[in-house]
Amino acid sequence: MKPIRVVVADDHGLVRSGLRALLASSGIDVAAEAKDGRELLASVREHRPDIALVDLSMPLLDGFEATRRIPFVSPETRVIVLSMHDDARYIDRAGRLGAWAYLTKDEAPERLADVIRRVARGDRLLEKPEDDVAEPLSPREREVLQLIAEGKKNAEIANVMNRSVHTVRNHRARLMRKLGVRTASQLVATADARGLICLRAPGRPT
Amino acid sequence: MSIRVAIVDDHRLVREGLTKVLGAEEGIEMVGECGLGAEVPSFVAELRPDVLLLDIALPDRDGLSLIEAVRERSPETRVLMLSMHSESEYAVAAVERGACGLVGKAASPDILVEAIRAVAAGSTLPVGEKLSPREREVLAAITAGLPNGEIAEKLGIRVKTVEGHCGRMMAKLDIHTRAGLVAHGRRIGL
Repeated sequence: MKPIRVVVADDHGLVRSGLRALLASSGIDVAAEAKDGRELLASVREHRPDIALVDLSMPLLDGFEATRRIPFVSPETRVIVLSMHDDARYIDRAGRLGAWAYLTKDEAPERLADVIRRVARGDRLLEKPEDDVAEPLSPREREVLQLIAEGKKNAEIANVMNRSVHTVRNHRARLMRKLGVRTASQLVATADARGLICLRAPGRPT
Repeated sequence: MSIRVAIVDDHRLVREGLTKVLGAEEGIEMVGECGLGAEVPSFVAELRPDVLLLDIALPDRDGLSLIEAVRERSPETRVLMLSMHSESEYAVAAVERGACGLVGKAASPDILVEAIRAVAAGSTLPVGEKLSPREREVLAAITAGLPNGEIAEKLGIRVKTVEGHCGRMMAKLDIHTRAGLVAHGRRIGL
């Protein structure tokens, strides 16, 4: 039987190499690693893995948006979200965007390997919710929102997204209107408070 | 002789993964793992590791507040903090409390191994500049969404001074927009 091939995406190098070592000892092959959502999409396009193991908080493009886009670049790749957030809103959202399973980093290594094998066999462990609520923000708006929160200026955002500065300005204006705020600072604070972006380190007071 | 290393991190996959990676390094022996801040004092007292890798953000305890307890229970143990964020603020705070340095989890395993060897040999890792108490006050106000005029009024300083604090914080933190400062302030819990 061919070994299961996985791409591991996480912005923390120490976490990636740890996962690679754990998976290798379970006979699961890590074809590539990615340190942000954009690198993940390129890597999935190139390697066509069976499984993409995706962290949620990643720079440039977060794990949610990467999850939504992976089927477009590699239809056979199934996404398993591996996050430190044990948050029902995140689990629900990951399911909505097409993830097959959601695990937290607290899991035992054996369970991770087991879930990877089950998903590779075709077991969907995360239901796609029927009651599809409307997403408040479009995918492009989310991308711009994340990049604003990363402290990037319009020109840099345009560069990362490969769009014009004019387009970025329009997205920014629409974001402010939708969230009912007037400054970029309020935008970041409101988006974080509503769980639209994940900023906060765990274990810190909110 | 091998360096005896123990690790404290609440995420089992991270802890066990690093144990595997570091255990494969020559000259490093992994002697124990712990996932709960409350158990750290007895854990180090029993194991007496040469180096303790200590996650800064444990759900039940602030990792920084455990450094002192570790040094009390096992004075010869060198503490190396691990953090999701490599911002210099955390590193300075950790060293001030008696740790030998901080390694961001974004680092490669090679960097971590090098840091373990350095602190085991008696070095302290270099750290960057810390925000001043006044800068933290200004950052808290920025994070709360106040414009510079109101911040100046609240703290009883001139608007120009507030602007100066903003500029210096941006330089120290390598952040270039006000929205970036807000994100940083929320991240560090201000």
